[in-house]
Formats: sequence, C-alpha cells, structure tokens
Amino acid sequence: MSSGPSTPAVSMGRPGVAISPGDHICAFYRGTEQRDEVLVPFLREGILAGDKCICVMDDPDTERVTGSLSQSLDVERSMRTGQFDLMCSDLAYLPGGCFEVDSMLDFWERGVGTAVHTSGFTFVRAVGEMTWALRDLPGVEHLVSYEARLNRFLPRYPQVVLCLYDLERFTDGQVLMELLRTHPKVLLSGQLLENPWYVEPDDALTVA
Amino acid sequence: MTELEIPHQLGRGLLSTMRSLLVLGQLMTESTGERQILELAATAVPALAHCRVVSIERVGAPSQTPELAAQLERATPGGGAVEVVDRPWAWAYPLGSPSGHFGHLVVAAEHEPTNEEQFLLRALAQQTGAALANQRLHAQEQATASELSLVNERLRGTVGALERSMEIHARLTAVAVSGEGRDGIARAVHELTGLPVAIEDRYGNLRAWAGPNRPDPYPKDPASRREQLLRRALKSPRPLREGGNLLALAHPQGDVLGVILLVDPAGAAGEHELMALEHGATILAMELARVRSLAESELRIRRDLVDELLTGTDEESALARATALDYDLQRPHRVLVIEGHGRTKDNDAFFQAVRHAAREEPAGTLLVARGAQVVLLADCEADWESLRNAVMRELGGGRARIGVGERCERIADFPRSYGQARLAMRLLATAEWDDRAVRFDDLGVYRLLIGNESLGEVERFVQQWIGPLLAYDQQRSADLVRTLSHYLDRGGKYEATAAALIVHRNTLKYRLQRIRQITGLDLSDPEVCFNLQLATRAWHTLTALHSTPWPMPEKGSSGSGDDPDRR
Repeated sequence: MSSGPSTPAVSMGRPGVAISPGDHICAFYRGTEQRDEVLVPFLREGILAGDKCICVMDDPDTERVTGSLSQSLDVERSMRTGQFDLMCSDLAYLPGGCFEVDSMLDFWERGVGTAVHTSGFTFVRAVGEMTWALRDLPGVEHLVSYEARLNRFLPRYPQVVLCLYDLERFTDGQVLMELLRTHPKVLLSGQLLENPWYVEPDDALTVA
Repeated sequence: MTELEIPHQLGRGLLSTMRSLLVLGQLMTESTGERQILELAATAVPALAHCRVVSIERVGAPSQTPELAAQLERATPGGGAVEVVDRPWAWAYPLGSPSGHFGHLVVAAEHEPTNEEQFLLRALAQQTGAALANQRLHAQEQATASELSLVNERLRGTVGALERSMEIHARLTAVAVSGEGRDGIARAVHELTGLPVAIEDRYGNLRAWAGPNRPDPYPKDPASRREQLLRRALKSPRPLREGGNLLALAHPQGDVLGVILLVDPAGAAGEHELMALEHGATILAMELARVRSLAESELRIRRDLVDELLTGTDEESALARATALDYDLQRPHRVLVIEGHGRTKDNDAFFQAVRHAAREEPAGTLLVARGAQVVLLADCEADWESLRNAVMRELGGGRARIGVGERCERIADFPRSYGQARLAMRLLATAEWDDRAVRFDDLGVYRLLIGNESLGEVERFVQQWIGPLLAYDQQRSADLVRTLSHYLDRGGKYEATAAALIVHRNTLKYRLQRIRQITGLDLSDPEVCFNLQLATRAWHTLTALHSTPWPMPEKGSSGSGDDPDRR
C-alpha cells in the first residue's frame, strides 16, 4: 500500500495534489471533459518525469488524450521509445471477450515488471478507464475482487495506479460504495483524500 | 431534533467516521442521480451504526411500505420514532436541506444505537438531503439550459426562415417592379430554388420556363382533368404536389389567372422552396392581374371608340381616343356587319372567331359585339369572302355572312357605312341569298331603290304589280310573292326554282297557276316579267329598310307545310 512518510511525493499534475508511490487511487469524475482534467496532467507529469506510463482506455477516441498531451510534449517520441504505452481496454482487460482477474494481474505484472526490471524505469504510472466493466461480458462481475487484489500487487513495484470511474456511467450507488472500499485513496472534486471507507484486501475479499 | 447536535465525547473513532461521512458527502455531491445518492446513503448506514435501513421514504414518490408512509405523514418534518414490526427501536431521520424537505431515512435496530451512532445517522440524513437538493438544483439548471438551448435553436430557425423569406421577397419584388413579366418571375424562382420552373395559363399552356430540361412538346392535360386539378389546388392551403411537380395558383380574388410550378420529381423541395413558390405565385398573380387590367382597359377604349364612330361623334374626340390606342383612324375604312354562329350558338365564341380571323386576314383590329352581330371597322380593302371563310374556319363549321358598307374617307362617314352594312345584311336575309359577303357597292338595282328619295312611288309600283299577291299571302299565309321572286330570279327555270324553294315541281306549277289567276298577267311576256322582278326586288328593299334585324333562319326551314300555296 502507501509508502512511509519519507517516500518522496509524486506529482499528480494538479495544484495541491500529491500522490505517493504505492497509491491505488479511485478517481471519480463526470464525463469525458472531467476525465481528461485528471488523466492528461497525470500522464504529462509522468512522461516529463521520465516515468513509465501505461494507459488503458475504454474510450476509442484516444486521439483526444494524445492531442492534449502533444501540446506540451512529444507524445509520438515517448510512445516510440516505449515510455508511454497507450492501449485499448479490449486488449488489456477483455482479451478474448471476457474479464479474468488473474490474467489482468498478470498483465500488470508483465507490464510493470518489464518496465522496472528490463527497461530500467524507476517509477511506473498505470491508469485504467474502467467503463469497460459496464459491458455485458463474462467476468465483469469480478471487478471489485480485482480492485481489492490489485492492492496486494501495488507494493511489489515503485508505482501508482489510477482507476477512472465515470459517475455518469457507474450509476449504481451500491457498486460505488464497494469500489470505495477497495481503494486506499480517492480523488473527488479535484481533492485527493485518504479513503476512510477503505478496507484491507483480505477483509474486502471476504465480503466480495 | 432539526439541528445537528455534536455529542460531547468526540472520540478518535468518531472523528474517523466523520471523515468517512465527508468523503461520502462529496461523492453524493458529484453523483448524477437521486437513486445513486440514496443507494450510497443506504449502503453506508451499516458502516456507521448497528442498525439497518428499513426504507428511504421520498416526498411525492410511491412508498414500498405504506404503513410507514402513513406514520411519517402524521409525524413532524423533523422526524422521530416510528413503529417497525419486530424492531424495538426505529427512527425516521429527515432528509432535509435549507431548500426543502425530501423525505426520511428510516432505520431500525434491536437496541437503541449509541449517541454517537445516532449523531452519525442524523448527519448522514442531512448530507443526503443536501445532496438531493443539490441534485435537483442541478437537474433544474440542466433543464433550463436545455430549454434555453431549444428556444435558441428555434429562434435561430425563425431568424433563418425570416432571412430567407426576406431574400425571396426582395428578389421577387425586384422582378415585379422591373417589368420582366412572367419570364422574369420564372427565372427568379428558379434561381431561388435551383429547380426548373414553369408558368402555365389556366388551360395548361406553357407561358414561361426557366431551368434545364424544358419538355418539347410541353405536355398538356385534357380540359376536364385540368379543371379538377385547379379545383384541388384552390382548396389546398399550401402548394399542391401533383406527380413530380409542386404547383401554386396565381388567383387574385379567386379567379385563376395562371399556375406556377416547380419541377421536383425527386421530392427535394423543402420549406424554403415552398416559400419561394408561394411568393412567386403572389407576384405572378399581381403581374397577370395587371396585364389583364391593361387589356380590359384597352378593350374598353376600343369599344367606346367604335361605338362613338358608328353613332357619329366629333372628329377631335375620336382622334384623341385613337391616338391613345396608337391607332391610325385617318386611313380609309369600311364598316362590316358580321353575323353567324358555330355548331353551337355562342356569341362570345363568335366574337373571338371574328377577332382572330380579322387579325390573321388581316382586315382590322377595331371591332365590337352588338348582340348576335359583330361590327368590324376594316382598315383595308380585303377579300371579304376570304374573311368570311376565315371566320368559318375559326368557328370550326357553322355559318357566317357579312354585310359591307361603303368606304369611309372621313370620320363622319362611319354611321352611313354602318347603315349600309346593316342593310346589305338584311337584304341577304329578305332576298334569301346564300351565305356570302355582300358589299353595299354591289347591290345593283337594290342600291338604286334604296337611293330613291320617294319611297312612296316605289311602294305604289309594288302594289301595282304584286299587291294582290301580297294580300293573298297575308290572308292565306301563302308564299306566292316568294315563289314568284325565286322563279323570276332563276330565269323561269322550273327545276332550279323548285329546288331553291324545296317544293315539288307540281307544287311550283300550281303556285304559278294561282299567280296567273290572281294577277291576270302572262308570265311569258318579257315586259311583264321585268316589271314583276323589279316589283319583288323593290318589295325586298322596302322590307329591309323597314324591318328590324331578324334572326337568321335555319337553312331549309322555309317552304314547308300542308297548304298547297306554301308547298
């Protein structure tokens, strides 16, 4: 989970908001515009800091994000050099048309592990746009379990994971509460908060 | 209890839970719907206190627990204890906010929760109420924004339509004042719509075309179908779609003067095109009404001029009218009286036939209708028989005959020439000549008789020679004078006379025998025959001079009956 007090803060790209290595953040927003207000600075700060950035998007309009990024940095170069991976949710979360928690955790293990051990990145920023979980596909009901188990993976590498949840799409309040319980930090209305609703993975998995 | 009272003993656990509430409140504020907010609240309750949610009752929403709803109706908006089956403790917390009361969060437990727990439940309910108020305000704002956006959209549409309408109006008004006529109107509507435009008269004849693919020959509906189409178009409030065309009528005061149509087989015309067509129809109606008014004025001036000339007018006035018509009245003229009919008797059709024939021949352009007759002021020496044939052609059959007066060298001569033409026309009838054009100049002995100043001498001459026969005819309704006239005009030939009278040869012989008996004259004597023929012609002349115009008898109608004198 979160690192100790001595761990240097990581820039979120938003004034007054600093994250720490090991953070697993649940970002709630309304609509694409608000999503980009969180996503684009997060990636820009990472690329500029020399971090490995892995972004999995459910929105097919990825040019919206790369276009915004290219206003302040050379996106193509960062993608070409392997610093920035941008991929669609079908390939990452839903290979073969279904969601499997173990496969997904392996995906992150491979992606983050390779970045750190092979490519030599000292820090990794992973971000996932989670609206894929609303599709009527096998396995998506394990979303909460996945989010809980991801907390065990976080301490293994110097990394931050940002999960993007659109409140206009995730309308079920009960599901929102469950998601709240699986993220140690929550980003709401531009504020990053220690999440008092957070439940340790073992407890959360018992409930889920 | 309406105010949130903070318990005195705020422990660290409670502070942590307050932070939970803060996060939850923020999440509720960001929520997109009331259901989402209420589900968040309901899911959070067990984490805040040892109790469960019985129901969230919303004001104005149907209740799943009617008994509870009834209790809440009786309770104050501030909430309070309620009764729930098998639960010793149950409480309704108000979902309130400064902007209104939204309902109650009803929770129940085996045991009464601690003060801290109750404080948290009350705080949750208040937070939920605030989020609901916020949500409703947001929804209201969105609805207002959406409505404003719709109003703006409609306004933009109206302004756009108005601008297009002004453009159409300006373009067509420019055409109307420029005097470009039907061609200009068709061209303007074509430019405004991009579609081919046709202008037809009320009968379906093409009068103007603008745009590509002009059909040749131009198709024309049968008259009955055309009339049906015009009736339907008159009833239609907007342009009528007929096949691949959209048509609008130019009908000032309900009188259809013309039709303007858009050729639109693909049905591409929208509101803009319809508007252009309607404006075009209005301008066309104005144009056609103007043209018709001009034509009617000219016709009236012509009619007045002819009337004045025939009845006698001062030269100055007549010349002034003629100048207004750009007509040279100081050429020699003849007055013609033309009488006849087509297969059906239609005075208007006969007038039009004479007008067209006179224009084509050419024989003249000043003419008026006088009852069944048409009076033409001929401005040249035409072949009058050719003119008569032209009238017959225009009529498509029927009959026509013409009386032609003498030349008018001066304006004062018109009344005399008119009288001569009428007289020639009457002689055609009284002398039973075949239909023809008769010039007064060619009337021979008739002209001599007419010119005789002493008609009394002529009448005495008639009485002397055929007086007994006239008396006999009158008393017996016989036909002896007519018989004698035909006999003498045909040189005493029996066959020709019998054929002209349409009687049997024996009837003719019988009548001639009666004539010999009554007059005591010898019809073989040339001197006698000359005087009798002169007397019959004088009698025709007197009849023509004294009679009013009589209707033209149908051919073959005379000479029938049982009386042998009339056979």
